[in-house]
Amino acid sequence: MKQFALWLSATSPSVYIQEHNTWVIPAIQSIHIVGIALVMGSVLMIDLRILGWAWVDQTLRQTTDRFGPWLTGSLWLLLVTGILMVIGEPVRELVTFSFWMKMALVAIGATVAILFQRALRRHEQRWEDTLAHSRSIKAVAILTFLIWVCIIFLGRLIAYDHVWGSWSPSERQ
Amino acid sequence: MLEWLQQTSLAVHIRDSLFAFPLIESTHVIGLTLVFGTIAIVDLRLLGLASTNRPFQRLADDTLKWTWVAFVLTAVTGTLMFITNASVYFHNMYFRVKIALLCLAALNMLVFEVTTRRGVGQWDRDASAPPLGRVVAALSLVIWIGVIVTGRMIGFTTTRASLAAPAPVEQNLEELLGLPGNE
Repeated sequence: MKQFALWLSATSPSVYIQEHNTWVIPAIQSIHIVGIALVMGSVLMIDLRILGWAWVDQTLRQTTDRFGPWLTGSLWLLLVTGILMVIGEPVRELVTFSFWMKMALVAIGATVAILFQRALRRHEQRWEDTLAHSRSIKAVAILTFLIWVCIIFLGRLIAYDHVWGSWSPSERQ
Repeated sequence: MLEWLQQTSLAVHIRDSLFAFPLIESTHVIGLTLVFGTIAIVDLRLLGLASTNRPFQRLADDTLKWTWVAFVLTAVTGTLMFITNASVYFHNMYFRVKIALLCLAALNMLVFEVTTRRGVGQWDRDASAPPLGRVVAALSLVIWIGVIVTGRMIGFTTTRASLAAPAPVEQNLEELLGLPGNE
């Protein structure tokens, strides 16, 4: 991975970002944070609806129709800005424990979001009548929110990978 | 005053810990994303761009209480970060612009509360707020994005020399004594 990161850092898009890093990196990071905010707002509202704490005058389908597209769109924005950050600072991103742990959780979080939206569309009545009230689905809603919280933690910790001690590849050399 | 803040035992503890500052900063990001994420829901409703089928008052009741919870979390963690290096942050241009923008956001919200929101009964079910409400909403989005950008810039323009990962104590001792380190 270190080899790949070093190779990537010598490519022209990476060199461009490195040469303009005083504004390119903060700009991309700021857009990335705005994207995370839209994800957090959307996930919070869908989860609160499942818990019955908000949007109770709307059906689960109505709530998901409102936030689902914003959630999906923001995830694409995060993917694009995320890739740009990796291109701009390959070693800083790829040679960390936090980054790979974050990617694993992003895969889980995104899969849950996609499966949930698909299942709701297929079995709408069952979700509205019984599933949304079941304890296990409510537990999954809380768990999903916590996964996104952990993703933010790990994202910020990429800059402080030393907190993982010997788990961090950059500490091991 | 700034010097005193930096010398408080709390500030010293955060500075000396390997974990405190990263964890406080991460919590700050969680808080601020929830603040912006929930405010955006309200602003987009005022602009008539999303949730137009829901009465404004209900949407605001569902959303803004979480904004305040998240704002308190963000303000507390922000203050904790500030005191670790108060004199540097205080003189940082981006920090000052960010505080000014936060004041503007508060003023913007006050304008909304004493004007458009007073007459919410007349437009609660309309697809968008009256013109002044829409201006406030657009300004709010711009100001908060400005807060995020300037906040990020603070991290790029202040050096936290004392926070850069210090070498583990044992290693320093070994170096001092001229002993061979662990590979």
